[in-house]
Amino acid sequence: MPAKRSEKLVSFESQALPLMPQLYGAALRWTRNPSDAEDLVQETFAKAFGAWDKYQQGTNLKAWLFRIMTNTHINLYNKRNKDQAKTALDDLEDWQVGSGESITARTVRSAEAEAMDNLPATIIREALDQIPDEFRMVVYYAVVEGLPYAEIAEIMETPVGTVMSRLHRGKKMLRTLLQDYARQEGYELDGEEAES
Amino acid sequence: MKQVDCEDVKRNVHEFLHSELHEDQLEVITAHIANCDSCEEHYDIEIVFNQVIQRSCDEAPAEELAERVMKRLREIQDHD
Ligand SMILES: [Zn+2]
Repeated sequence: MPAKRSEKLVSFESQALPLMPQLYGAALRWTRNPSDAEDLVQETFAKAFGAWDKYQQGTNLKAWLFRIMTNTHINLYNKRNKDQAKTALDDLEDWQVGSGESITARTVRSAEAEAMDNLPATIIREALDQIPDEFRMVVYYAVVEGLPYAEIAEIMETPVGTVMSRLHRGKKMLRTLLQDYARQEGYELDGEEAES
Repeated sequence: MKQVDCEDVKRNVHEFLHSELHEDQLEVITAHIANCDSCEEHYDIEIVFNQVIQRSCDEAPAEELAERVMKRLREIQDHD
């Protein structure tokens, strides 16, 4: 019953398929829902298998797959033109992105860390999913996957400087969203007087 | 980068945490953090923030996905 597998499929299966959890994690952030994420993972593996002869053994396979995923996602959802890698947000100055880093007192920082630590995972994911794709994916690759900037630049097909500024801004946007949420939940982050 | 102020140090928090600093920068900033509560706190919260993000993104794929993918790959193979 089991169909016979070519040498190519055997080598692909043993090398690429174990990276499925990582691909799924990234796909979830691209698509923001499990069913589209599964489709994206499947399409990415299908494309990668088709191009397996072009993969250079010994080079970074995970990065190669993530790059295929970037292109697959863009093609699947036709979300941006090839030459539109730069978004309008990249042109904004830092002060326009909001939430400047004010020098806050030590106790306030601790309060924020504590509030952040107590936020449910679903809230964090919702906040992540609210920031623009290109920023979210850079934050994801840097923070969750721990990839170096140069690798993220290759995966996203952008200059390293863009990776750096998207990481800074993405984190800032995310933090603003989470601070707003934490305040709604009754955490005091600014040292404001409690209404009691 | 010989002399740094708090603003410089705080601006470099991501590069510090992601090991993207040059050695000389790393040295100066590490020394600054050791003596500055405000910057240390700033770095601490960013570390917590990163951990929170990591934790929230820890979602495993359904088991059927591996089967779906293998089925698809076999189909591609049979068309070759
Ligand atoms: Zn300082």
